[in-house]
Amino acid sequence: MSCEEYLSKITAYADGELPADQRDELEAHLRSCESCRRELAETTALKEELAMIKFSEPTDAEFERYWSHVYNRLERGIGWILFSLGAIVLLCYGGFRLVEQVITDPTIAWVVKVGVLALVFGTVILFVSLLRERLAVRKADRYSREVER
Amino acid sequence: MDEAEGALIRQCQAGDKDAFGRLVKQCAGRAIGAAYMLLGNRDDAMEASQDAFIRAWRNIRRFNGRSKFYTWYSAVLRNVCLSRLRKRRHPTGEILVEPPGEAERDDPSILAERNERTDLVRKAILRLPLKHREIIVMSHFQHMSYKEIAEALAIPIGTVMSRLHNARKALRGLLPEEIGRKTGG
Repeated sequence: MSCEEYLSKITAYADGELPADQRDELEAHLRSCESCRRELAETTALKEELAMIKFSEPTDAEFERYWSHVYNRLERGIGWILFSLGAIVLLCYGGFRLVEQVITDPTIAWVVKVGVLALVFGTVILFVSLLRERLAVRKADRYSREVER
Repeated sequence: MDEAEGALIRQCQAGDKDAFGRLVKQCAGRAIGAAYMLLGNRDDAMEASQDAFIRAWRNIRRFNGRSKFYTWYSAVLRNVCLSRLRKRRHPTGEILVEPPGEAERDDPSILAERNERTDLVRKAILRLPLKHREIIVMSHFQHMSYKEIAEALAIPIGTVMSRLHNARKALRGLLPEEIGRKTGG
């Protein structure tokens, strides 16, 4: 095996992730190869540099602000769903009654009736098309999905 | 997952928001830090980690407890951060990382300790291509195992090894000479 093939194994070895059966083979190679020993030393040095970056835990006051923002949004979620459902039901009902009134009213000119019908059908087609596009994007976008475990 | 965390998860799945608050408290520091290393901006990191907690709450019934809560949450967080980065994408395809602003410089709450050296390393990470940056963040700042990374990225463990090697090599090349000499950059 060439040194090039050992490189990713050296990464795994430095992380303690190399399977035991491959570890012995790599250790034997390291004993005889100076450039691979240097690669291991450099990987270890980089890990030490990265380990120097540490994140602080939020103080109690910071966490309270952070959590209250999350909590308020969790509470509002159900409110928004009910609000949207109610708005959709009322808008659909109102729209249906309006169209019904326009179509059945003999005093309204047929041009207006055709215009209202075209407007309603156009809106429905646009809504369905947008909905389909959103669903297709959501299905294809691996970043918008959660991981199920 | 330990017993205490398992009990908290069961309470969350029963709709207990206070139990979820205790879970969030255990993870918030790491979550904000990881988002910060991916997004390069403190405000975005705060918002992204909060968005991810909200998504995690909405999907908590899908969490089956085979991994730790944070491992599951980190995959949700990654998705939220990548969605934000994709929205920032320049028409040329380059992903824009905003340089740290004055407000961020004055606010040391995300990093436990700041000095010139850690700032140089952090800035070098932000210059990595996204594919490399995310695997560095998962391995070094979220302390995920190769198996966990492989699951989150849907790639074989062998690819995790080679991608992490390439990411570290690229990072070494971006570090300034002073640090680079030690790490081989």
